[in-house]
Amino acid sequence: MQFIVEDAESHLNIKVTESRIDAAIATLFKDKLREIVVKNRKPVHLDMGSVDFMDSSGLGAMIAVRKSLPDNLALVLLALTPNVERVFRLTRMDSVFDIQPLTAQKEPRE
Amino acid sequence: MTPTERSDPGIGNRASTLTQPMFHRVLNAHPLTVRDTLQDVRHRFRGEVSDDTLGRLELVLAEVMNNVAEHAPLGQAAPGPGPLPVIHLCIVRHNSGLACALTDDGVSLPDDCLLPRSLPDMVADDLPEGGFGWFLIQDLTQALCYYREESRNYLAFSIPFAQLEAS
Repeated sequence: MQFIVEDAESHLNIKVTESRIDAAIATLFKDKLREIVVKNRKPVHLDMGSVDFMDSSGLGAMIAVRKSLPDNLALVLLALTPNVERVFRLTRMDSVFDIQPLTAQKEPRE
Repeated sequence: MTPTERSDPGIGNRASTLTQPMFHRVLNAHPLTVRDTLQDVRHRFRGEVSDDTLGRLELVLAEVMNNVAEHAPLGQAAPGPGPLPVIHLCIVRHNSGLACALTDDGVSLPDDCLLPRSLPDMVADDLPEGGFGWFLIQDLTQALCYYREESRNYLAFSIPFAQLEAS
């Protein structure tokens, strides 16, 4: 289980490298990601572009990670693939997470 | 070849036009085996049905089979996990969707799984982390039916095609 973590001062960029967040790895995924976000205490931008499948146990893991962050720290989900977006949409969890396309996140450089 | 062994060409032609892609697998109810099976299902039907239908099929099958794995009965003789339940999975493409049948020798399905479901309560400061599986199964399937006979569960349903896809 690997995450690519980059500290962008104002927030943390984390790229998920697993292609599936399913019952086989949901608990490990939750524990590892929660450890990273709790330690850093920053808003998180999570790049999900490589994840092409997520089931309800994966969704549960994402919700647990969201709950491990204080409400005032954002957890932005970027680049959801159609199969992953469907699970958030059908369960209405798209109203709990901040879901954005990957391109919207590129901030102008100064 | 004797005349009696020759197949009737009329029947042969009819059979070939009725042939539809299908998938059949007997597997242990373990999350990694379920994962491998889902990837094989994906390869089997890729190109035969749309990515959207394939995505809905894969999600429903994952929820059903991982439920069997998660609720595997404990060993009778010794403490700890008993032998894994065995799942039989069959999927056939029909004109309007993918017909799926699953049987397993795991524990009996609680009645409330099949009663009409709503989403778990959304409490802002204590979001639910589970309870979505059967909601998704009910939401994405048609003609969902279940019965138990002796030591096996039987579950059947259809994953409808998207409207433009139906032939």
